[in-house]
Amino acid sequence: MSRVRTSRLILCLLVSLIFSACAPNILMTPDLAIVQSADFSLSGIIDYEGNAEYLPRTVSAESHPRSPLTLRYQYGVTYGRDAVHQALPLFNPLTIIGFPIGANTVVVSAKLDVLKESSLIKTYTAVCVLDKHRTIFSEGETLSELRRRGLLAVRDNIETQMYGDRDLLFKLVGN
Amino acid sequence: MNTFWWTNVNSLLIFSFLFITGCATLGPDYSKVDKIPDNSGLVYLYRPSSLMGGGVSYDVKTGDTVITTLRSGGYYPYFSAPGEKEFWAQTESKSSVTLDVKAGQTYYIKGEVGVGFIVGRPQLMVVAPEIAEKEIVNTKLIPAP
Repeated sequence: MSRVRTSRLILCLLVSLIFSACAPNILMTPDLAIVQSADFSLSGIIDYEGNAEYLPRTVSAESHPRSPLTLRYQYGVTYGRDAVHQALPLFNPLTIIGFPIGANTVVVSAKLDVLKESSLIKTYTAVCVLDKHRTIFSEGETLSELRRRGLLAVRDNIETQMYGDRDLLFKLVGN
Repeated sequence: MNTFWWTNVNSLLIFSFLFITGCATLGPDYSKVDKIPDNSGLVYLYRPSSLMGGGVSYDVKTGDTVITTLRSGGYYPYFSAPGEKEFWAQTESKSSVTLDVKAGQTYYIKGEVGVGFIVGRPQLMVVAPEIAEKEIVNTKLIPAP
């Protein structure tokens, strides 16, 4: 009976080890509870060249070409990998039970500058660090998927920061 | 005795095939691309020579288009249209990286082969120019597909 319990315990540990390795760890700075900010948006000239999906939805393009407000959004993505040699897992007997065989990291940083007539009035930044572990059974999400997840996370974070500052922003923009 | 002999011959043939295909047809040594065409970015795909997974090669694609078959010790310069581009490869699992390609800029994607359950898995990684420029000099051009 005791052996059955021990076997079950080991099986549970192995399954949890395998599944925990599949899901990426996400660390967000600043760490905020995301709020939906559908009713708030700042209009101006948008200075951004990338995919529109990654642009915070709290900024919108001003139809007036001589708007005093410029909203400059930039992001950067850095890829990293553990320094463990690819052959090492071949010599690790725990590999076959789902022990991690490597790790990848994607760091996404974003910055939104709010400029009024060329002078900077407010800056918002967010950084998202995503890392995943690979096992012999699963590679987990690809780096492209992690990048996308990170870009959406920093977008949502900046939206939340802007929403929290909405009164201040309207005041700054209005003056 | 006869069975033992045939088993050895078969093993040798399989090993030779894998060895030959792994080393197949690489061109001249690395040389830097002099000029990037207008409205294009340059993406170097390279794979340093390694015994680990040396017999495994894989196609690197963007969308459904095969750019090159990445072999151990090879590199391939690819001129990409600007924009968000995903580069991917797959054997028993998929590996992909995405770049925001800008006109006139140069990027480096390094390929490796990692441990797989049945076959080696591709590992694509965006590498900083200062590291990639040291690694790519030891590679040879992969002929255009």
